[in-house]
Amino acid sequence: MTSPTIKKETKNKIRVEFERTPLLERLKAKFINLYTVKRVVWYLFRFLLLLGISYVILFPFFTKISSSFMSPEDFVDVTVRLIPRHPTLDTYKAVIVDNKYFEALLNTFILSLTCGLIQTFICCFVGYGFAKFKFKFNDLLFLLVIFTMVVPHATLQLSLFMEFRYFDVLGIVNFLGGGVIDSVKILESTSINMINTNAPLYILSFTGLGFKNGLFIFLMRQFFKGIPDELEESAYLDGSGVFRTFFSIIIPLSVTMMITVFMFSFCWQWTDNFYTELFYTTSGDILLPDIIKVPKSLDTNYAGQALYTSAIRNTCGILILFPLIILYLFGQRYIVQGIERSGITG
Amino acid sequence: MNVDAKAPKKQKIQIDNAPGKKRKRSASLDVRKARAGWIFILPFLIGFVLIYLPIIFDSIKYSFHEIKILVGGGYELEWVGWKNYSDAILVDTSFVTTLVSGLKQLILDIPSIVLFSLFVAIILNQKIAGRAAFRAIFFIPVILTTGLISDIDAGNTMNEYMGNAEGIDDGSGQESAATEIVSVMDVERLFSNMMIGTEIVEYVVSLVNNIFNIINRCGVQMLIFLSGLQSISPAIYESCSIDGASGWETFWKITLPMVSPMILVNSIYTVIDAFTSADNQVMAYISTVYEEANGNVLSSAMSWMYFLVVILIIAAVAGILGSFVFYQRRD
Repeated sequence: MTSPTIKKETKNKIRVEFERTPLLERLKAKFINLYTVKRVVWYLFRFLLLLGISYVILFPFFTKISSSFMSPEDFVDVTVRLIPRHPTLDTYKAVIVDNKYFEALLNTFILSLTCGLIQTFICCFVGYGFAKFKFKFNDLLFLLVIFTMVVPHATLQLSLFMEFRYFDVLGIVNFLGGGVIDSVKILESTSINMINTNAPLYILSFTGLGFKNGLFIFLMRQFFKGIPDELEESAYLDGSGVFRTFFSIIIPLSVTMMITVFMFSFCWQWTDNFYTELFYTTSGDILLPDIIKVPKSLDTNYAGQALYTSAIRNTCGILILFPLIILYLFGQRYIVQGIERSGITG
Repeated sequence: MNVDAKAPKKQKIQIDNAPGKKRKRSASLDVRKARAGWIFILPFLIGFVLIYLPIIFDSIKYSFHEIKILVGGGYELEWVGWKNYSDAILVDTSFVTTLVSGLKQLILDIPSIVLFSLFVAIILNQKIAGRAAFRAIFFIPVILTTGLISDIDAGNTMNEYMGNAEGIDDGSGQESAATEIVSVMDVERLFSNMMIGTEIVEYVVSLVNNIFNIINRCGVQMLIFLSGLQSISPAIYESCSIDGASGWETFWKITLPMVSPMILVNSIYTVIDAFTSADNQVMAYISTVYEEANGNVLSSAMSWMYFLVVILIIAAVAGILGSFVFYQRRD
């Protein structure tokens, strides 16, 4: 090897040129080897797989959107697949006007918001109780929470309906209504009919029995278990009570998790059709499930009927989902963060 | 309340020290915390005792009765004993077959959903371009494709119609065999020389064709796996790679044991989710029975039988997987 040639020399600096392997060969050695090739292939495979699955997830939304803009002629035109030839807003107009979309939206919004807020707070409360306090039967009672999760609400369909159709707690209403002693008759009937009101869902939310509330309590409990006990102990030492500690220290810490739970409960209540069909009869308030039908002003009786009806249903779906999509765009990072921080362990 | 169990003991010591003097002493921190714990879980406890237990009890009671709704606003029950149960099994022609095929489907679904969600969670946990966007997309089904929307999607001819780029459709929206993602024939021809049996091939084909359903049902499981993967300390992986372990070895020796508790949780959650979801065939059948004659008690009897069977499955899954679960000892 020859000695390095001096390129430039100043008073206190010296630049020397070594003989180096050419750039091309260096790059070859760096990138064309099994390790790098394996990594690139794996990276591409992963990326393509994720893209493919994303496509599978997003495709139904795309068909929903595109079919909602199609006019009736497009469904009999075999050359039209994904992009409407005669874009129209008639379907939207008909669904919004005929099916009373905005009325349903408002009713469902009030219902979902109230239920979501109540459920979030109650599950937070109960989850904290299970996570941080040692008392007798703690584990046993938590098993009951799991039990409420395991029993499908469809099993209880009939008795849920009966419970709230003839609502009574410990026979108090029955007693006041004169069911036990005839002379005591403060109320008109021996039970309260809660069908067609929001009361059944509010009551279920308040007692942590709403849709998938067992899961929320579970998530909250896991999250609180991850918060170090020392935090609360130092608060107790400073003279803060249990509840003050909860409200001024724990709640601010768990905002992300609470947003996650709120989004779950809000969205699941929003798209729920089990409870709404159970507790609301056709004579009651219009909720979002009620708008899924063919509007009167649209004539579907022609060759493309099956597709057109399906497109109308999809349009209803879009209208129902629209507020949720906006909510999701703002809230999705909280979901990911919230779940990541919960650190669920078996 | 049982939380006061400790209190009398302390009182006794006090009395020994100073007989005849009754002094009020505030409870210890443990006792006070235990009381606070009861207050925290009170909403659930009240609901469970006052609303849930009666509902459960009523549901069991109804399944032994015939219901007649009276005009004045009340109802009458007529005791019929095991008649509803025997009717469900012996008289109703399709309940048992639906139950058996539904359970078979459930057992086949568990491994596919759990493995798929584990796989996706591992990929989503690695560094990749646009990871945040992918995560956002993957959690869309959890939030949006539930209840009503899955109802709309269930009878949706639009997806097949638009997904099918070729072939002239008569507009009836009837799904033709060609629209299935993988034609069963092709795959069978492909695998016929591998001597692995037609059942496995059909299983794989059904998985590929149901990929949308599987993805839709993976959301929560994916979240649970993701949080589990992130709780594994990076130091373990680092020391592994220093010792020269390959990615394959790391997966089997580190990742899998560390997420095994999550596999158990997810398997159980999948069972619960699959069997409580309204779109599984047994549930659908039960609710059609319920709606046939408004408030048919036969449905209660059926769902209790179904519930018992699923509880047995959950116990079996927990028992089998529980013996493989690795719990990291915490110091």
